[in-house]
Amino acid sequence: MVSEMTSKERVFAMLNRKPVDRVPVITGSVMVKEYIEKSGSSWPDYHSNAEMMVNTVSLMHTDAGLDNIVMPFGMFIESMALGLEVKMGRIDIQPSVRSFFNKPEEVKYDNFLEDKYVQTTLDAIKLAKEKYPDAAVTAFLVAPITLAGDLMGAENLSMLSIKCLQKEKQMQKMKDWISIALEINKIYAEACVEAGADILYYSDASASPNLVMPEFYYQVAVPAEKEIGDFVHHLGCPWELHICGDTVPIIEGMASTGADCLSVEQAVNMEEATKIAGDVPVVGNVTPLLMVEGTEAQIIEETRKGLDGGAKASMLGCGTPPLSSSDKLKTWVKAAADWSADKL
Amino acid sequence: MDDLPEEVQELIEELDEAAEDEDEDAIKDLTQKLLATGVDVEAITLKKLALLVMDGEEEMTQGWTQVAIQIGTDPFKTLIEGLAAGMSLIGKKYEEGEAFVPQLLIASAAMYGGMDLLAPYMKQDENSGSKAATVVIGTVEGDVHDIGKSLVKTLLSANGFNCVDLGNDVPASRFIEAARENKATAVSMSTLMTTTMAEMPKVVKMLENEGIRDKLLVMVGGAPITAEYASQIGADVSPHDAASAASWLKGAVFDFPSESVRWS
Repeated sequence: MVSEMTSKERVFAMLNRKPVDRVPVITGSVMVKEYIEKSGSSWPDYHSNAEMMVNTVSLMHTDAGLDNIVMPFGMFIESMALGLEVKMGRIDIQPSVRSFFNKPEEVKYDNFLEDKYVQTTLDAIKLAKEKYPDAAVTAFLVAPITLAGDLMGAENLSMLSIKCLQKEKQMQKMKDWISIALEINKIYAEACVEAGADILYYSDASASPNLVMPEFYYQVAVPAEKEIGDFVHHLGCPWELHICGDTVPIIEGMASTGADCLSVEQAVNMEEATKIAGDVPVVGNVTPLLMVEGTEAQIIEETRKGLDGGAKASMLGCGTPPLSSSDKLKTWVKAAADWSADKL
Repeated sequence: MDDLPEEVQELIEELDEAAEDEDEDAIKDLTQKLLATGVDVEAITLKKLALLVMDGEEEMTQGWTQVAIQIGTDPFKTLIEGLAAGMSLIGKKYEEGEAFVPQLLIASAAMYGGMDLLAPYMKQDENSGSKAATVVIGTVEGDVHDIGKSLVKTLLSANGFNCVDLGNDVPASRFIEAARENKATAVSMSTLMTTTMAEMPKVVKMLENEGIRDKLLVMVGGAPITAEYASQIGADVSPHDAASAASWLKGAVFDFPSESVRWS
């Protein structure tokens, strides 16, 4: 019997493949309308005001009972800081990147850390760390393939991902884009770790088999993810890797990146994924929409199914939908705790 | 192609090279030589186009589309039996898990490359009175992912539908306006993100409130969308992928009242 742990201890035990008092419940992106309103934050200020951000995201921990506190909201900070056009969305719609560069040489990142949105993330990490030392403070960052896709445009990424397997010249183009993405990743990672992040959560949404071929993932994406992952480990910080879609064909590659845990979504058969991943913890894969319109029975059933399949933490398939309700989030956390009481 | 005489196969290879180099004079010259051999050049060209589109060979597809134009193949036949047939081949492979999105994208670029060359000739067909069913298509508000939507559009176009592409991040009201303006046969919405799924029922509700829901079919799709969700929000279908969207709609419009009856 493992004695009661703090949220941070629980998450770290899971990442280090040690016993836990109950399975952790964690999340990736967090921008929940109910919590934005409850914390008195206002759109779009909460994206660039560290205090508002922490007041909102901390409710996922203090009210819903999740084990991590995640910032920033959405996958737009890197692109915004590089000068790409970003539509700021609404209280219930996350910001989205709207433009891209034509050539890698156009990307200027000397002043990356001075951007106000990057600063907000760093300030929010510091603040969350001070206020909630027992929670696992997690920075939500864009991983190299997805960032390269933001830089060149997702459709161009997809097209180039096949062309680069056919012609060396195209491969060089791809490498040029990824190398810039990695440099930016490293600058941001180092700053987040210095600010006190306990964990870096990398979403490589565009490395999904939904967008690029598994062959590309193994040849190009794995070395890039491994490079940023090794860099993060060198800074003394663990990291998680999330990829969207049915990632079963690439789980082996994901596990080979050295990520401390792999996050998968509801399209993935958890039992199959955990088998392929071996001793690398796999987390997931509760359908996010259940937090908006799922019944109590559905939430419990899916949570238990993922954990029965071998998930080492319960997590939503991808981000937390903005229209999630606190009641449903609490039902989910309770379902994971009840499963732990029964099965651990 | 392997059963063709050696002389013909050599000419085809030379044409491939000329097409890749975008050498129009060489294409013309080689086409004449090919015709002089007495083989069925039209059949060869259509087959070649289908294979080139399937492989995503944009330059070569354009070169062979020029061959089709030169030998006087009906442009609609070139589109359907050549370019679109190639898109269907790769679409089928995708459906069976043997191809991936990038392959669909490069095939789609090749098909559109050929279609651009055919466009000036296709206009003559429009003047002669043939008109395709119109589909209003877009990615819902809050989501900027275009790829899935564009693939559905490509396959619908390849199957003869006239697509009004509203792009991405489309507000609900824009779908309704476009459906009305174009007397649409169908509205097709996509989203990649769970966070924007709730926009879909909003569009269906607006179609109902405007009294035009029964005048058209509603398709919804994207990574998080299931058949159950489609039915729950009042859509007609959530095809598994772009290829099944096109084949479902082809079947559905067959039994659907004509535009003049629906929108009168």
